Amino acid sequence: MTETGVGSGPPPEDTLEPADAQPANRGLSARIQRSDAWRSVFRHPQLDTPRGRALQSFSNVFLHLYPVKIPRRVLRMRYSFRLGYIAAVLLGILTLTGVALMFFYTPSVGSAYGDMQNLRTSVGFGQLLRNVHRWSAHLMVVVVFLHMVRVFYAGAYKKPREFNWVIGVGLLLLTLAFSFTGYLLPWDQLAYWAVTVGTNLVHYLPVVGGTVQDLLIGGDQIGQATLLRFYVLHVAVLPVAIVVGLAVHIWRVRKDGFAVTRHSVGAFEEEATVVPAAAPVELYDHRTRVLGVVDRESVTAQERAVDDTVFTWPHLLVRHVVVALGVGAVVLALGVTFAAPLRGLANPDLTPEPAKAPWYFAGLQELLSHFHPVVAGILVPVAAAITLVLLPYADRNPDTRARKRKVAIIVFSSLLAVAVVLTVIGTFFRGPGWQFIAPWTHSYVEL
Amino acid sequence: MKLSRRELLRTGWKVGGAFLGVAAGWTIYESLRPLGGGSETGTIQLDNPTSYAEGTATYVPEGRLYVVNAQGNLFALSQKCPHLGCRVPFCESSGRFECGCHGSIFDIGGEWIDGPAPRGMDRFQLTANDSQLLVDTGKLDPGPDRGAEQFLTPPAGPSCIEEG
Repeated sequence: MTETGVGSGPPPEDTLEPADAQPANRGLSARIQRSDAWRSVFRHPQLDTPRGRALQSFSNVFLHLYPVKIPRRVLRMRYSFRLGYIAAVLLGILTLTGVALMFFYTPSVGSAYGDMQNLRTSVGFGQLLRNVHRWSAHLMVVVVFLHMVRVFYAGAYKKPREFNWVIGVGLLLLTLAFSFTGYLLPWDQLAYWAVTVGTNLVHYLPVVGGTVQDLLIGGDQIGQATLLRFYVLHVAVLPVAIVVGLAVHIWRVRKDGFAVTRHSVGAFEEEATVVPAAAPVELYDHRTRVLGVVDRESVTAQERAVDDTVFTWPHLLVRHVVVALGVGAVVLALGVTFAAPLRGLANPDLTPEPAKAPWYFAGLQELLSHFHPVVAGILVPVAAAITLVLLPYADRNPDTRARKRKVAIIVFSSLLAVAVVLTVIGTFFRGPGWQFIAPWTHSYVEL
Repeated sequence: MKLSRRELLRTGWKVGGAFLGVAAGWTIYESLRPLGGGSETGTIQLDNPTSYAEGTATYVPEGRLYVVNAQGNLFALSQKCPHLGCRVPFCESSGRFECGCHGSIFDIGGEWIDGPAPRGMDRFQLTANDSQLLVDTGKLDPGPDRGAEQFLTPPAGPSCIEEG
């Protein structure tokens, strides 16, 4: 038995709201919103009051992914450049376009290349779909990497966020694995030889390199077994892994307060929350969260008094929607302007000159051309991965201000510069025989 | 050392979980590792040994290999570069193997001369049978280490890589 019927007025829990905060009594829309059926889906009306927004966040699973309130400084674009969020948006775009592409693709060496050609010629918006998927994948690698760099410079990996940094490093590796496994699927010359080079790089890993290469390739050379393995990894295994990893990553970001709280100043000083001189210090040692809703003028008012916070809905969510639309527009523009490459059918007996790994491994390939594989293929990448993972545990300096972290910033920036320079050289400045070429005379860049 | 019931159970769960994890990992490995049954390996019958003139490299497409005559010694060299797996073409003008991918250069016997390759070209096992050569594509020996110069001679002519 229901307490209220259609049009019989708001339920008792909303009677605390002022009358003008309730949906208007007139009109079909208002009647629908007051119906039991509507209330069974949306448990609270859309009220433009602090209490109404808090209630909506508590009762909506999607809104509940966000904290109810966030520090105002988080709203600034330059606070995080929204890089983590942009990466998540790109993952969403990749999921949507990837699922759409799966309707037109069979992971078989006999048909994969033909499916790519059909996408170009016989499938409505097929080429655009593939273009957007391809450029989003490349962008995601860039954005996730920049996100990591931003987190380092902001000092946001420090206690209590050490393990979330480690999860982030894992997500970066998963992103690379995602892109790399997708690279083979078109089964063209570019795919075949980039993956040949890439999987041979894996061979140089210490102890497990040969085994991992065997497991990846599934035979003596890249063939049907490899294509199927890469496909399954790309559409089933890696998506599950990245969703689980991302869930933990975001959950920790949310539980850690969405923003780096600082006693006085931050890595970027303008981000600092100004502490009023009269306020007791202990109020700032613990971030205040809304744990429940009591009568009006209580918790939220108190919080506002001690910290400059705003409601996530609508302030941050509106910005997120705008950023998502912007990202969508960018990848759509890229997809319309630039076609994803499709070379000739994969031919194991014809190596293109040069054969380059995907651009994000080009730095490693460049390194391999200078040093013995034990150094370039084993010591350097393993040391880099271990350094990244251990960074928050090795750097015990609690200060997040740049001028107090000179050593860490100089070391990280130097390594970053070396990695970027090697990648740029390997991608743009290498031609046949891995010889130096000027990219403005002839480009061998393959994306 | 006295172990409480709770500690015993907790240890049991840990050991059991570790055992299950190892078993799952081993099962996945065993099911995914290539067994070699479907690969293109086997014995290929080649021509009479005398048909391979000194200093020549003959491509055998069915085995993806070269049969070379290096100063009277016959070798079956894998076409796959030991650096990163590209197909290494034979440059007729220089009389050397020159990898266009990353610039590794090998002499007629597959020995490393220059470039990033960690060793010489890998060699399939070659046997003679009733005046015929047999190459076993299932048996691949690693190429000679860097520094081996048994068959090193000056280039016969210009390099194919440098010519572009």
